[in-house]
Amino acid sequence: MGKNWMRLDNAALIFPAISHTRWSNVFRVSATLTEPVDPALLQRAAADLMPRFPSMYVRLKTGVFWHYLEALPAPPQVREDFAFPLTLMQKKELKTCCIRVIYFKNRIAVEFFHSLTDGTGGIIYLKTLTARYLHLKYGADVPAEEGVLDLNEAPLPEELEDSFPRFSNGVALDDRETDALRLRGTREPNFLHLTTGIVPAGALKAAAHRYGVTVTVFLTAVMAESILAYQTERCPERRRRKPVRITVPINLRRIYGSKTLRNFALTLNPGVDPRMGDYDLGELCSVIAAQLNAEATPQRMAGRIAANVNPQNISLIRAVPLPVKSFIMRLIYNRRGESKGCINVSNLGVIRVPEAMAPFVRRMEFIIGTQRSYPNNCSVATFGDETYINMIRNIREPELERRFFSRLVELNVPVAVETNSN
Amino acid sequence: MYCVKCGVRLTDGAAACPLCRTPVRDPDGAEAAPAAPTYPERYPAPPKTRRYPILAFLTALLLAVSLSAMIYCLTNLHAVSWSGYVMLACALVYFALLFPFWFEKREPLIFVPIGFGLTCGYLLYICLYTGGSWFLSFAFPVTMLAGLLTTASVLLFRFGKRRRLLKIGVLLTVIGLSNMLIEFFLCITFDTRMFAWSLYPVCSFSLVGLVLILCCTIPGWRAYLEKKLFL
Repeated sequence: MGKNWMRLDNAALIFPAISHTRWSNVFRVSATLTEPVDPALLQRAAADLMPRFPSMYVRLKTGVFWHYLEALPAPPQVREDFAFPLTLMQKKELKTCCIRVIYFKNRIAVEFFHSLTDGTGGIIYLKTLTARYLHLKYGADVPAEEGVLDLNEAPLPEELEDSFPRFSNGVALDDRETDALRLRGTREPNFLHLTTGIVPAGALKAAAHRYGVTVTVFLTAVMAESILAYQTERCPERRRRKPVRITVPINLRRIYGSKTLRNFALTLNPGVDPRMGDYDLGELCSVIAAQLNAEATPQRMAGRIAANVNPQNISLIRAVPLPVKSFIMRLIYNRRGESKGCINVSNLGVIRVPEAMAPFVRRMEFIIGTQRSYPNNCSVATFGDETYINMIRNIREPELERRFFSRLVELNVPVAVETNSN
Repeated sequence: MYCVKCGVRLTDGAAACPLCRTPVRDPDGAEAAPAAPTYPERYPAPPKTRRYPILAFLTALLLAVSLSAMIYCLTNLHAVSWSGYVMLACALVYFALLFPFWFEKREPLIFVPIGFGLTCGYLLYICLYTGGSWFLSFAFPVTMLAGLLTTASVLLFRFGKRRRLLKIGVLLTVIGLSNMLIEFFLCITFDTRMFAWSLYPVCSFSLVGLVLILCCTIPGWRAYLEKKLFL
């Protein structure tokens, strides 16, 4: 980092602007070990990672024109877990630290404010943290492979870069969409319900292949089908139904080969309009696969990046004071951001760890928080032979979860559920 | 154990399915030990709202202003004099703007009419103190009209978010027409000329309102205007 502060990357700019007292965009990655976690050693491991991950050990500060990330003077204090994951990060906390290192029994978890990094960056940090912890506890020598970084190396400039401007093609892509269906329920003001569906990765893959699509597309299609059924029940009059779209984050590192540890993902909203007619799962799979394939190309994504990067390059916009800028960003986000999708289905893919680490790690998971305006969210990660589908909600009714998981069971994908709410 | 209704496997010892709430009937019964919880039963404190100190400060400020005005008047002028206006204005500001924020849930349908009622009371005081005769024929009906319109718009926009454009249209037309009523009350109280100015706001407001109503009722208008006027 050189100096002790850095600019927010292009995607990160929105998160401080839209967070408020009761909500901020936080996600969690966690690793469950075979034995209980030693907090003192975890604290040491977290401290050892500090020079290697300068972009993670930061706090959010306010400038006149932009927010910026300032290096922490000391590593964050590890703490014990709460009854529910993803406890809100209030603005006051963000000003002191944007990352939480958490333990509970056998589990190490790290929660990030989304301005620091995305799921891919988070999992690299978690793997390196776990590797360091295992080294301190058991003397395990984990090689720097499969996403574990070498702590003896200095951070690479490309890991700290904001990759968005580099891959923008300058031509902003116009993707105006109508508003999607909004799921509703009885709000739980101070509780987040988390339901984890554990499914055999092989069975899930086989089910997806039966429909000729990838696991991400399959899960997105099953989610869309569940939401369509939910809407059909509530709104019998077809003409009044709203489009059902699922927000799917696309990891741009896979498209452009960037190595950045900061945010480098953009979302697409594949879906269908139920006013046009009913869709079965096979049709949903092919429609969603076609939409994703058409959009997730380097050329189209560069256009989407440009749409976000171009305004940032206009001097007049840069010179607007931060409060005004935040207000305008919030307005645009409300109009063009979340309103276009019903739920996120964020698939981190297969998490692989080096062989030396595998005997100590039982499970790795990825959990995203609820969005600002919609109540449900879903994140998926596969570790070993199991896929962990984490569905989080801030409403009382587990209706979407019930429809989604029982549909998977119907499709010959056995599901075991765990929950934090009883 | 599996849920008999949705078919998912449950954690050992679960009393009911977390998805469909179907009670679990485990043949092994008491032998199955409950599984270890996945999260601790430790709850973080809900985010604290910091508005109470600010509210207390503002309340104290209003109190200080009204008290100092009264003390000044009583010691220097030996009468309540203009401090009455200041005190009642402070009370009005307090009840209309600050008082609702002491409550967790602010119900505008209660606080908005109260605010207008208090404004009426304030105007009545001024009228009586200055010996005027304009309260009953002008201030009271106009304040009530404004209160009625504000409460109606709160009602309209609070319940049901559909057809907002139509509601705005109707509201603008009514606001336009109410200008004529205001001029009528002015006319009978202060003997001014009728239709001196009210026709302008009536026309402009009603025109905009009518266009909005038409946009909502005639299919195709809205799409056409959207096409021509997008930013």
